[in-house]
Amino acid sequence: MKILVIEDEEELSKSIVAYLKAESYVCEVASDFKTAMEKTESFDYDCILLDISLPDGNGLQVLKELKANNKTDGVIIISARDSMTDRITGLNLGADDYLSKPFHLPELSARIAAVIRRRRFDGSSVFTLNEFTFDTNAKIVKVSGKPVDLTRTEYDLLLYLVSNKNRVISKNAIAERISGEEAEIFDNFDFIYAHIKNLKKKLAAAGSEDYIKAVYGMGYKFEI
Amino acid sequence: MQLLKKTITSYFLFSVIILLVAIPVFYFALKRMMVASVDENLIATKTRIMPQLLDAAAGNNESNLHLPGYDVQLKKEQPGKKGDSLYNNESNPQLSAPNRLLASHFYINQESYRVEIKTSLVDRYLLIQRIVLVSALLLVALLLGLLLINRMLTKKIWQPFYHTLKRLQEYRVDKQPVLKLEPSSVSEFNDLNKAIEQLAERNYQVYSSQKEFTENASHEMQSPLAVFQSKLELLMQTKPLNEDQAALITDLANASKRMVRLNKSLILLTKIDNDQFLEKETVSIKETLQKLIQQYEFQIQQQSIHLHFSDAQDHLPGKPASNIAASNIAASNIPASNIKDLTVEANKTLIEILLSNLLSNAIRHNIPNGSIDITLNGKELTIRNSGRPSSLDPNRLFQRFQKESPDANSIGLGLEIVKKITNLNHYSIQYRFENKMHTFSVRF
Repeated sequence: MKILVIEDEEELSKSIVAYLKAESYVCEVASDFKTAMEKTESFDYDCILLDISLPDGNGLQVLKELKANNKTDGVIIISARDSMTDRITGLNLGADDYLSKPFHLPELSARIAAVIRRRRFDGSSVFTLNEFTFDTNAKIVKVSGKPVDLTRTEYDLLLYLVSNKNRVISKNAIAERISGEEAEIFDNFDFIYAHIKNLKKKLAAAGSEDYIKAVYGMGYKFEI
Repeated sequence: MQLLKKTITSYFLFSVIILLVAIPVFYFALKRMMVASVDENLIATKTRIMPQLLDAAAGNNESNLHLPGYDVQLKKEQPGKKGDSLYNNESNPQLSAPNRLLASHFYINQESYRVEIKTSLVDRYLLIQRIVLVSALLLVALLLGLLLINRMLTKKIWQPFYHTLKRLQEYRVDKQPVLKLEPSSVSEFNDLNKAIEQLAERNYQVYSSQKEFTENASHEMQSPLAVFQSKLELLMQTKPLNEDQAALITDLANASKRMVRLNKSLILLTKIDNDQFLEKETVSIKETLQKLIQQYEFQIQQQSIHLHFSDAQDHLPGKPASNIAASNIAASNIPASNIKDLTVEANKTLIEILLSNLLSNAIRHNIPNGSIDITLNGKELTIRNSGRPSSLDPNRLFQRFQKESPDANSIGLGLEIVKKITNLNHYSIQYRFENKMHTFSVRF
């Protein structure tokens, strides 16, 4: 899987690349508009992370060019400006997703995975991991072929953990994932614990191994 | 006291004093002059009638001498006295009208005579009284006229001042970049207007550069925050990692989260200030609240808070008829369908933020087993919650960074955002502490 990170903040792009490497993605970086245009013209990527405000141009222009050339690269806009208009403009221009800075790396990783899944498995939205089979369209998980009855939140949580397998996801990132930005208002992570507990119980009952590990109260990890 | 009243009052006081002093002085001066003139006349008369007097004396006739306007009496008397004397005849107190009297002594043929020439002052006194009265009336009329003219003139002269004052009272630095005042014919007012215009302009410049600074600062902050957060998340992946390190990283992550939230709130505030929420739609307050209650369900349950959502009809304090013990029943099951809805024409995001801030405050600052009482009554939404047993300071409550809670997660911008949103939409918000409940009511 090839990913292009178009981002002028070098430290941020380095972090993104370092985090994504664990997922065995091949990452390239373009730190300005010119390089970004060159790279997108010459190569195809599975997913492009696109910062809108570049020192020498507007990232949305890159998106426009891609669409004008009928390229099918998946595009996730990462922008410092969290404005509804930007979001709508970006999505209308054909971006697959929009993420405002600062974001959690696991969140980014999960979104990239979702975009790639949508692009790759045209029609088939099923992927497997050990004894798990996920159908991302139907939002169903099967353990060894048997469906597990999960709530919407538990399913989201499991998919989130799996998208970041073998990496620690902080409680903040999980909280934000589960209940959106509103969850930030409360610094009470008990609900994460409750959800994880239920999820683990259900998976164990379905006969799966215990992959979900708590990491010193810092977060959780799907270890495989 | 008003400026006009103040000047008029001083004028009026001064005029009254002048009147009170001037009229008696005038009266007495006139009277003195009159008496002096009468005296002169008496002496002149005496000189004029001297031949007749001598005649009368020679004829030993002591009878009255007749002279129009004067009463002349000639008497023989014991010798010894000499000369003339003038006085008011007040020997007879019954005599209402005073007389002026000239007594003169003279000798004819070694015999002493005394002549008294008397004239009445009644007519003259009357005349003086009338003169004084007329003058006083004239004076009063004159002063009143002056006062009136002064009042009108002052009003007209100060007109530009009042105009400027009104414009200044209406001036809002965040709404108008320039203040344009009307030119006046009075140069001082022109100077004043110019000074005010310059002040307003400088004010606006300072305001906008400060606004710009907040805006830029919070936007520029996004990138380092993003870097910081991403590095922390990479640090979490490093191996080996012991428990102490994990605890430190968690603390850092929480601090970073707070910074992110603070920054987001600041950006939101500047966005509201810049009027960047233009899209308006019909928003249902009831539905938004129900959605929020559902979202906060877990937190409500955690603290065993009893949440009661109603409209005015079935709201009877103390009657727990439809009280929902949130710990037993999911908040989404609240039978709110029969609550009378309130819809407003506003930006949906802002209304959601407004309600979410109020509701989350009511949850966060609550006590275990406490209660939240939401009432939707016509155009008014009231959220009451139990909590600290004392009132919050209503004057500081809605100001930036005025935290009254020791809660480290409270960043102190929530209620300012609430206030900004209500101001923007011309709603009003009030805080009361009644029946040990913290009460916020919003009038839409």
